[in-house]
Amino acid sequence: MTLRRFVLHTVFMAGTAVFLLATGTQAGVVALLLIAWIAVFACAWTISYLRRRDRLRELENIMDGLDKKYLFFECIPGAHDAYERRMLALSRRAGKSMIETVSDAQEAVREYREYVESWVHEIKTPITAAGLICRSADPVLRQKLTQELAQIEAHVERALFYARAESPEKDFIIRQTNLTDIVSQALGQHRTLLISKGVRVETQDLEYTVYTDSKWAVFILGQLLQNAARYHGEEPVITMSARPLGQQVQLIARDNGIGIPAHELTRIFDRGFTGSNGRSRGGSTGMGLYLCRKLADSLGIDLRIDSVEGEGTAAQITFPAKSQLSD
Amino acid sequence: MHRIMIVEDDVSIRDELTLLLENEGYRPLPIRDFTDIAAQVTADSPDLILLDIGLPGQDGFSLCAAIRRSVNVPILFVTSRDSSLDEIRALSLGGDDYITKPYNIPVLLARIKTALRRSSQGSDAEIMEVGGLTLNLAKGSLSNGQNAILLTRNELQIMACLMNCPGEIVSRTELIETLWNNQIYIDDNTLSVNMTRLRDKLDSLGMRDLIRTRRGMGYQI
Repeated sequence: MTLRRFVLHTVFMAGTAVFLLATGTQAGVVALLLIAWIAVFACAWTISYLRRRDRLRELENIMDGLDKKYLFFECIPGAHDAYERRMLALSRRAGKSMIETVSDAQEAVREYREYVESWVHEIKTPITAAGLICRSADPVLRQKLTQELAQIEAHVERALFYARAESPEKDFIIRQTNLTDIVSQALGQHRTLLISKGVRVETQDLEYTVYTDSKWAVFILGQLLQNAARYHGEEPVITMSARPLGQQVQLIARDNGIGIPAHELTRIFDRGFTGSNGRSRGGSTGMGLYLCRKLADSLGIDLRIDSVEGEGTAAQITFPAKSQLSD
Repeated sequence: MHRIMIVEDDVSIRDELTLLLENEGYRPLPIRDFTDIAAQVTADSPDLILLDIGLPGQDGFSLCAAIRRSVNVPILFVTSRDSSLDEIRALSLGGDDYITKPYNIPVLLARIKTALRRSSQGSDAEIMEVGGLTLNLAKGSLSNGQNAILLTRNELQIMACLMNCPGEIVSRTELIETLWNNQIYIDDNTLSVNMTRLRDKLDSLGMRDLIRTRRGMGYQI
């Protein structure tokens, strides 16, 4: 019941009482009439209030129990009265139109992702062939071409994982994996870049078992390694070590590179953020860390980056415990 | 000589892989007709199969299953499909290894070698001999017949790399790459340090000048 209706009602009752008194009805009769009137309406209002309250609670429970909230109107059981029926019919029409739009958009994303995936698989064939053909070139030319091919590969890989990260279907597979394998695969993939920048890598205490999708984890680590190689300082060294944190395992990748200015640290995971380092050295897309964060979130990996400008950067990658992945 | 069948529909890769394997002392058997490959496998009985997944007609997965029904030859999947799902599927269908394109050539060769060694059981090529020197990779020792010295992991890989192609110049970059492929992630300075130590050790065998420095090009045994 709205306040306006209540006020209107009161005014109407007062008017009637004044009219009755003016036309000579006894005050006692008017009072009795008013009391009866108020009692009847109080009853009616209470009943109406309770019914609406129960109905709303019922609807709220349905909403809370729904995974896809936009399916709400499809899930409401029969209407209570004619007004609600018409309102529901209208809402269902609106909802249906939205569901169609959403599923069209999902379909478009899925098709686009499929195309990107197949395109990436196709482009890898000529990259592989070029790598094999390079073998017969003279060493200097071979080295230059190999570096360029490695860059192409890194860009292609990012496109693939971008399609995967943005897709609503997360098709990774969590398996028991050795952290040493993940680290050596990531180092192997970016060997050309790291060697060309003169990076030395020290690995220690990596003999841990983690539960993750190794391909995704290798990609995440690979992005961090590429950053470390790109933003290196004098005599670049990357240290990779791990330690247990309760049931979890934390991998720490630390470099002695140029570091990230403190005021930029909060934005490094933002899409398209290149920062002053990226701008001054060029070649930054602002996608690497953004993708890392997205993929890590899907895998339940906690990814943090600390840095001191001029001293280096440390990435902490905390793999979830097996028990945390049961859902 | 090990016979390696190449099931790959991209002509450039097939031709280059054929050349590469020939140079490495294998006998490559490139497939050119993609109908009934399983029958060709039975007829040629290769020692190892490099199998692509995206093929005209039958895909690599079902082909692997078909081959597995008749012969027990090592099958290495070599594909650009890189999802964990594909890898699990390939290995559960009887694949021995799963290598994603674009691959690093030394890594590919190493994994071919491992698969062949595993299947032929025991014919270990863990010992290398060049000019009266014997390098035992399993023990990590280098001997000249009378005396033997122990090498560190880094020194061992450097020696193995140089002894692998006697007479040829191996560039510093090649050495560093070889070490990286063996999970030793060193830089140029560390290589110099390792080289000096290795030469000191060779000195104790009376062979200080075994490794020659070719200025601007690399090292040579």
